[in-house]
Amino acid sequence: MSLAKLSFFLTEALTNLRRSGITTFITVSTIAISLVIMGAFLFTAMNLEAFLLQMQSEAMVTVYLKNDTLLAEAHTFNMRLADMPEVADSLVVSSEDAVRELFSDPDDKRLLQIGVTPEDNPLPTTIRIKLKNPDLLKSIVDKVKLEPLVDNLSYGEDLFKQFEGMSGLLWYVSLSVVVLLGCSSMFIVFNTVRMTLFMRREEIIIMKLVGATDWFVRGPFIIEGLVQGLIGSVIATIILLSSYHLVVGKFAELIPFFGIGITFEQLFKLTAKLFMMGLILGVVGSLLSLRDIRKFSRSVN
Amino acid sequence: MIEIQNVTKIFPNGVRALNDISVTINKGDFVFLVGPSGAGKSTFLKMLFREEIPTMGKILVDGKDIVTMPGSRVPYLRRNLGIVLQDFQLLKNRTVAENVAFGLRVVGVSDAVINTRIQEALEQVGLSHKRRMFPTELSGGEQQRVCIARAIVNNPLVLITDEPTGNLDPMISDEIIKLFLEINMRGTTIIMATHNEKIVNKLRRRVLALMDGTIIKDEECGTYAYE
Repeated sequence: MSLAKLSFFLTEALTNLRRSGITTFITVSTIAISLVIMGAFLFTAMNLEAFLLQMQSEAMVTVYLKNDTLLAEAHTFNMRLADMPEVADSLVVSSEDAVRELFSDPDDKRLLQIGVTPEDNPLPTTIRIKLKNPDLLKSIVDKVKLEPLVDNLSYGEDLFKQFEGMSGLLWYVSLSVVVLLGCSSMFIVFNTVRMTLFMRREEIIIMKLVGATDWFVRGPFIIEGLVQGLIGSVIATIILLSSYHLVVGKFAELIPFFGIGITFEQLFKLTAKLFMMGLILGVVGSLLSLRDIRKFSRSVN
Repeated sequence: MIEIQNVTKIFPNGVRALNDISVTINKGDFVFLVGPSGAGKSTFLKMLFREEIPTMGKILVDGKDIVTMPGSRVPYLRRNLGIVLQDFQLLKNRTVAENVAFGLRVVGVSDAVINTRIQEALEQVGLSHKRRMFPTELSGGEQQRVCIARAIVNNPLVLITDEPTGNLDPMISDEIIKLFLEINMRGTTIIMATHNEKIVNKLRRRVLALMDGTIIKDEECGTYAYE
């Protein structure tokens, strides 16, 4: 593309954006608002996922041994567990240690009221296993629960499954929001360009009469879409980045894990993706609207 | 220059606008296309710049078959043609110079060349002093002259014009025709559809008369009469 053509496209696009101020404002606002909503959903989903990952990485399996298990047997079993490829670390906690731990926590002193004393210790010997990789949880659980000394296992499965379900749902909702808002923004851009095409029909006819190619006619409109997408993206990015820490701070007061999830790098990447999405929305919306441009130039009387 | 061979145009609604016409127009010709309204004059002209495609037949412009030409090549055909229509078709929010420049901008000509060419074209039509004015500030005749300047700014091989004096009073019409004659004298072929009997009879150029889509008269130094 020659410099003269590019300069013509830019001048035409910017002049038209200025002339049709209200429609430009509506399109830019729609793109910006859509991107902010999309971003909010994606940030939330990412935070929850990051929290889950953190939960998983700290996953610990507690193996409750049968009441009649001797401490020596527990240690032998622990040595076997330590050799398993999934295990990063394992520790035997005798029933005495467990009750000591329990009483060291002042909140649990109320347990005394229901008859738990160091002399009458109902707590079994346990082995606490830390995993090398949270993905190995199922594999180790399946192996250990078959062991004859094992009475029961605990790994916070209910809570984990709840969060996992919530995270999955949030991702589905977020993606649906992204698709729906993306389509509606594109539709707005499509209609704005369509409206402009009708308003500038005469100009298009003249352009075609003097020998403009279809792509030459499309050029300024595509740049208009690109500029609208760009402005919308910039506004959305500013809103998202400036409000992120504020909103996350507020959430953190309500839900302690919020805000610890995603790193600045992830935040930057997501913002960059939203930025690109804004540009794509603008350009694709315009292109869809311009696909039958010849229809607008066929009215020479 | 232009060869029209056995061209028929039937519109989707069944109207037969042109019926097996064959004409050859040579370089430098000045051709009047006359005939009653609905005779097929505009369809004839539109086919020359591929705004309409014949149902049958062949049209060669400067040796190229424009009927089978792919749509993507049509803009390049039009860059060699100047088109002036009855309704002035100027952009009201652009100055005279910007309107004329339009034909050059689409070809990607640089600003420096554009300025020189606009000046030349406007001088030819006698409007160089009004280059900064807007079309609404000009008279009908002046607006038509801006259209002519836009059409000739690319130095076209052929100037196709449909009723260029239709909206103008007789005096202004004479001025416009004089301008076309000057352009023709520089070697540009001119094909003009008109109902202006006085001008056709005065100039005595080649006259093609159309009636119900058929050429009923093709006369060198002809007159307007076709019935």
